[in-house]
Amino acid sequence: MAKDSVTAAAELKENPWHYARAEGYWDEALLPSGFPRRHWRRLFVEVGRIGFRQLSRRWQSGQQLIHSQGITYNVPNRPEGYEHSWQMDPIPLVIDQNEWPYIERAVAQRATLLNAILADLYGPQRLLRERKLPPALVFANPHFLRPCFGITPNSGVHLSSYAADIARSPDGSWWVVADRTQAPSGMGYTLQNRLVSARTLPGVFNQCRVRQLAGFFERKRQTLLAMASSLRNNPAVVLLTPGPHNETYFEHSFLAGLWGFPLVEGEDLTVLDRRVYLKTLGGLKPVDLILRRMDDSFCDPLELKGDSLLGVPGLVDAVRSGSVIIDNALGSGLVETAAHMAFLPSLCKQLLDENLIMPSVATWWCGQEEPRRYVLEHLKELVVKSTFPRAGRHPEFPESLSESELKNLFSRIEANPEEFVAQERVALSTVPVRTDVGFSPRHAMLRVYATWNGSSYSVMPGGLTRVSTQDSSFVVSMQLGGESKDTWVLGSESETGASRRQLSVPIEANRSNRNLPSRVADNLLWLGRYAERVECRVRFVRTLLPALSGEEDYGRSVSLETAARLLTELGFLPMKTNEESLGELHWQVQRLLTEMIYDVSQTSSLRWNLKEMRRTAWHLKERLSLDTWRVLQQLESQFNAFVPSGADHRYLAGMDLLDGVIVTLSAFSGLLMENTTRGFGWRFLEIGRRIERALQLAELIGGGLSAASTDVEPYLQILLQIADSSITYRSRYPTVMQTDLVLEVLLTDESNPRAVAFQLAKLQYQIIKLHELLEGNRDSGELEFADSALALIRGVRLADISQRDSSGRYAAVDELFGNLKVALYEISDALTSNYLSHLKASRMRASW
Amino acid sequence: MFEVIHTTRFSYEAPVSRCLNEVHLTPRALPLQSVYQSTLVVDPAPATFHHRKDYFGNDAATFAVMEQHDSLTATATSLVKVEPWPEPVQSSLSWEDARDQIAAAPDDSCLEAAEFIYSSPFVPVLKELVPFASESFKSGRSLLEAAGELSNRIYKEFKYDPKATSIEAPLVDVFRNRHGVCQDFAHLMIGACRSLRLAARYVSGYVRSGPKVQGAQASHAWVSVFVPDIGWVSFDPTNNVMPSENHVTLAWGRDYGDVTPVKGVTLGGGLQTVQVEVYVNPV
Repeated sequence: MAKDSVTAAAELKENPWHYARAEGYWDEALLPSGFPRRHWRRLFVEVGRIGFRQLSRRWQSGQQLIHSQGITYNVPNRPEGYEHSWQMDPIPLVIDQNEWPYIERAVAQRATLLNAILADLYGPQRLLRERKLPPALVFANPHFLRPCFGITPNSGVHLSSYAADIARSPDGSWWVVADRTQAPSGMGYTLQNRLVSARTLPGVFNQCRVRQLAGFFERKRQTLLAMASSLRNNPAVVLLTPGPHNETYFEHSFLAGLWGFPLVEGEDLTVLDRRVYLKTLGGLKPVDLILRRMDDSFCDPLELKGDSLLGVPGLVDAVRSGSVIIDNALGSGLVETAAHMAFLPSLCKQLLDENLIMPSVATWWCGQEEPRRYVLEHLKELVVKSTFPRAGRHPEFPESLSESELKNLFSRIEANPEEFVAQERVALSTVPVRTDVGFSPRHAMLRVYATWNGSSYSVMPGGLTRVSTQDSSFVVSMQLGGESKDTWVLGSESETGASRRQLSVPIEANRSNRNLPSRVADNLLWLGRYAERVECRVRFVRTLLPALSGEEDYGRSVSLETAARLLTELGFLPMKTNEESLGELHWQVQRLLTEMIYDVSQTSSLRWNLKEMRRTAWHLKERLSLDTWRVLQQLESQFNAFVPSGADHRYLAGMDLLDGVIVTLSAFSGLLMENTTRGFGWRFLEIGRRIERALQLAELIGGGLSAASTDVEPYLQILLQIADSSITYRSRYPTVMQTDLVLEVLLTDESNPRAVAFQLAKLQYQIIKLHELLEGNRDSGELEFADSALALIRGVRLADISQRDSSGRYAAVDELFGNLKVALYEISDALTSNYLSHLKASRMRASW
Repeated sequence: MFEVIHTTRFSYEAPVSRCLNEVHLTPRALPLQSVYQSTLVVDPAPATFHHRKDYFGNDAATFAVMEQHDSLTATATSLVKVEPWPEPVQSSLSWEDARDQIAAAPDDSCLEAAEFIYSSPFVPVLKELVPFASESFKSGRSLLEAAGELSNRIYKEFKYDPKATSIEAPLVDVFRNRHGVCQDFAHLMIGACRSLRLAARYVSGYVRSGPKVQGAQASHAWVSVFVPDIGWVSFDPTNNVMPSENHVTLAWGRDYGDVTPVKGVTLGGGLQTVQVEVYVNPV
């Protein structure tokens, strides 16, 4: 041991990190002498040992992990799209084991205190009557939800999830900078950061005995279930998200998966007779606890924000009736205001009979005269915030404002003083951050999480560390492009391995029951349809592209004219009366096929459909296995890597791209096929797929035959190729190419997975299975239509329909496909009205 | 004694499969107002019905209609007796003193009034209302007198025009365009009072019809201003009167949004039209 520390000291002297602290701040890693603090030394030695280059290499795979896990953070209003890879730095913030108990106690105390304040303000309001808190902080606060007044939560607490943003000042003391009492975000990202950092620095992670996070998450889950159990045996808990556009949607789906709670949106829930239900395929299922990740004012368009389309009408009344628990209770945003900080020391005395353990950043609420005077006199030294947090309002730094801006701020404060708070600018401590050229100091803030455990608050031994974007900035914001870090709380006692739960997201396996939310079934159906549409499109374009090469080689003999006629018949090229020159035609077809691949503005393009497919998959994120998700990512990156600039080269590059895409798509289908149990979800996916393939085939075959004016053979060949059935055909009929035989393979053969009949047989089978699972207590409109569609194909006499009529058209084929399409649309409609009907009507309007 | 019949009818372009509504249609029992009867009939019949007192102490009811319908009719019938003020209200408290007392909130009634001095969803505190209010609230003037004059000025300077606005019209538009309906005038007077940090609340109710009385055919609205030494005093800027035995009080709150007579959320329905009819019959 002694030898180890000698070596360590020797290595440290060489300062392998080349990390220099910034003057004037507390540095988390280095002592003022430049020597690493005790609790950072193992990390220093290890990183020094592996060296910057090796670390950078490891970090590449760390970032790959972030990418492949689909860890994203949505940033609104960015031109490049809002889904961004989660930003993380490989070097954790290390916290000494002797320091942590203080933070832990302080955060738990603060949660207790804020909960007590909420209980008072939504109840007896003694704090107002006894003048402990100015009435304006309640009455002028838009987060004081009057409809929730007088409701005592069934769980016993208003605040069951809490987070504190804390920071360290130059003298080494910790301060609370902000309270998060609405629906604190970042817990899921914290766990992901741990996953990544433990893999990036495995050796030192184990040596350091970093305290595990899994126990906290398990405790949270247990508490939620215990709270819900107080209402009903075998309670149902759901996680309510505003949807995939929310900035932290990733963690909503991640946490839902981790805890095994359904992830629901407002429209998945409904209130009947003061009780909340989840709309599932098997009917309405009562919900006992809602873990909300939605701001409370959006939760009920009847009693709260009337224009909210996210919420559940009647939710407040359901809570009032005591039939459902919400974590956090509706109205908890009231104590998030920074203005409270000025009053917390005395409130803590009053309510808990304790001193506040960790101070808040010095705060002046302008609603009171003396603080206001101070603020106006010292404006330039302070940061000014809106008292009542509102979307789009950011802190203002008077120091960097112009004279006129300053004047403007001044008069705004004087006009509505209670709307402003000013806080001391904390000189945040610094931490080493890896940059491209080495390690440099950045300012950091730590978010620490607490959860109610039934009798007190438990604090997560770790947290989400966020660092500023530039060396000099104190602004720490993931929205503004900041980075995060894992937080290593060193522990004396290491938690047992048993508490370390497997952190992978379970796939649909154990949820394929009747409780599948209808919206999910709808999305699965569409995922199936889009996936199939993409595949059909790829096969189509891939078959036609060689027409542009001019070479009619082995089997891929597609002439330009054939391609052009088919495209015209399918409505992609305009009808032309005059014969165009070959060059003109070539140019037209080339442009069209290129657009069909790349042009995201056209709904017929591959890219558009891929986008839709991914969007639909995104809504299902927590239900897709990680591998499935990776394949989707790969599909996307294949596309992003392949946008050649020169129009001429685009279609050639397109060929390679499509070859790659078709393989990835097969992987996608394979994963869905092999990794999903045959429950409701899978059946909807399969139904979507079959409907789409049948529709596409009908369209294609009909178009192909119509295009064939005299010589039908080239068109038959194209059809076989696009439908991936050339080999099947040739093995059966090696020497002839005849319309009736091709139709047998593509239309009536129930054993060919690429034939129309095969799709209809599968469709019928799936619909029967769906009925069995639902115990058949519904109208079976879709089954009747499926039966009749199959009967249509089974009744086909190939010899008859493969003949042209007197005008040279395949009229019988056209008629058949016309009927078939109608039947398929009917199936789709019947499914919707039988299983998904409440989705259609979900648009809500406030009628006043 | 009045019999009030208040009918609200929603017609929908497309069928509504379900709706959930909250209504404030039961008159409040008050020292000078006795409610003998209050019934609500909804067609189609609601599947659930539930009464409660809201945050402001008003009677609120929620109901859900679960069957498919193309229109919804809610008819509230009330039998109410309103006594006139026993004597004229008098107070010489200056508006500045009133303002300071409410701010200091020395007792519970002032604390309660403090609820009504801030922005609320329909009544933002607008800077441009300060000069408008100050014309009446001159230095040292009694609050009661100034508020009466403000009400009078709104009556004179603004045009009553039922076609001019919907309730969605922002207060600032009402102020600039100088016309509106009773809800708008109530909001305007409340906004003007609050711009000087005086407590003013929104009262929803009915007014007995008569020559030159506006707002009798629909639900009516007026304003109460808090005068610390005597309590809440009402003004009807639409009719330039101080409400007394001809006004029936339903409910009060910070603004229209707190006491909307009928509001709801529907599933389906598409475009909708609303018809409101009110009869106030002396009996």
